[in-house]
Amino acid sequence: MSQEDTIPLHHSSQSDIDEIENLFNVPVHAATVLPARPPSPPRVSIPVSHSSTPLPTYQKVPPSSSSPPVVPAVPAAAAPTGRSSIGVAADAFGSPADTLTEPVWDTVKRDLARIVSNLKLVVFPNPFREDPGRALRDWDLWGPFFFIVFLGLTLSWSASVKKSEVFAVAFAILAAGAIILTMNVLLLGGHIIFFQSLSLLGYCLFPLDVGALVGLLIGNVMVKIVVVAITFAWSCWAAYPFMSAAVNPRRKALALYPVFLMYVSVGFFIIAID
Amino acid sequence: MDSMQPPVENYANPRTCLFHVLFKGAALAFYILSALFIDSFVIIFVVTVFLAALDFWVVKNVSGRILVGLRWWNEINEEGESIWKFECLDQESLARMNKKDSWLFWWTLYLTAVAWLFLAIFSLLRFQADYLLVVGVCLTLSIANIVGFTKCRKDAKKQIQQFATQTIASRFTSSLQTAFSVV
Repeated sequence: MSQEDTIPLHHSSQSDIDEIENLFNVPVHAATVLPARPPSPPRVSIPVSHSSTPLPTYQKVPPSSSSPPVVPAVPAAAAPTGRSSIGVAADAFGSPADTLTEPVWDTVKRDLARIVSNLKLVVFPNPFREDPGRALRDWDLWGPFFFIVFLGLTLSWSASVKKSEVFAVAFAILAAGAIILTMNVLLLGGHIIFFQSLSLLGYCLFPLDVGALVGLLIGNVMVKIVVVAITFAWSCWAAYPFMSAAVNPRRKALALYPVFLMYVSVGFFIIAID
Repeated sequence: MDSMQPPVENYANPRTCLFHVLFKGAALAFYILSALFIDSFVIIFVVTVFLAALDFWVVKNVSGRILVGLRWWNEINEEGESIWKFECLDQESLARMNKKDSWLFWWTLYLTAVAWLFLAIFSLLRFQADYLLVVGVCLTLSIANIVGFTKCRKDAKKQIQQFATQTIASRFTSSLQTAFSVV
């Protein structure tokens, strides 16, 4: 679902002894060597080495300063050769009673920040947006998951009868629709990555979510029609650059028409639900 | 008599093991028991799929790293191509992994997938398409994790073999050198 952030603290392949030494040194310069991307949580990660390319080895990043007794424990536990570095990680992870929750919470915060940034990137007007084809590089599926479920829940709540069928149908249509639309682009010879496209189509549901929520709160049909029309236009506007960038210009309409069709049908679903 | 037995290795990361099992069990238990108590399909769907998604995240991001030292993810590089990365610890740390931890990790992973498969067959037999949807999503998430970690493990084994051949080759050449220097 969500993506991993790498923590490229070192770019050389090192021997194991050097790696263990770096476990001692990490607390000193961990604060300065954070990557430019949204910083990873002070999650414990284990040193990793690779077979093929000289990718950066992972360094152990101990939990942040809020748990200082962990840091002196690291050198002491790393020194005896009998302990694996996982044992060290386990100590650091588990010794104070709530470090298991603390890194997880930080990871959750980081993933939430990624969802928000993806949302802003996709849905909101941004004049400084970089090339749309490459914009959603940090794709994640949590956002689309929440939006699809939210839309299903809203529609189900608005329905007076057959609530479960409404939810199931909405979820199935949205999920299957996203997959089919992605396959459509791929079959048209477009260059888009499957999960990136799923993620994008999911995020573009956000305006329709807003429309459905407003429709839930306001019962008047005319208002619903206006609101849904606006949010539908917003969704299409959001999806257009990514989809059109992915395919051959002569096939743009072929790729975009099904997307618009799906959003139109969702819009009608929202208006018609009673 | 008992003092002669070697000490049984205990779980090295009990909390992580607990979380590894917790969400899987909760999703399965909720799905199975909810049919008895809860009338609303929507609630069953949302809670089960949410628990399954949480479990997927925990296994991928937390317990995979800590219990078996494996990790996999997807990156999109500068040219816009998608790369799946599979990583593992270096061989010595892998060899030192707690056996109980990794046993628990792999077996619960496989068992959950099998359990969801059975539930899928049940709902197929009962022609319940909407429950099949729930089970389908959970099954997909379990299988995704299994595939990811199995590929990691294969990569790890390849690494071990390469390391072994390298070590043998280097030892062979060094012993040859010492033999020649002695002569």
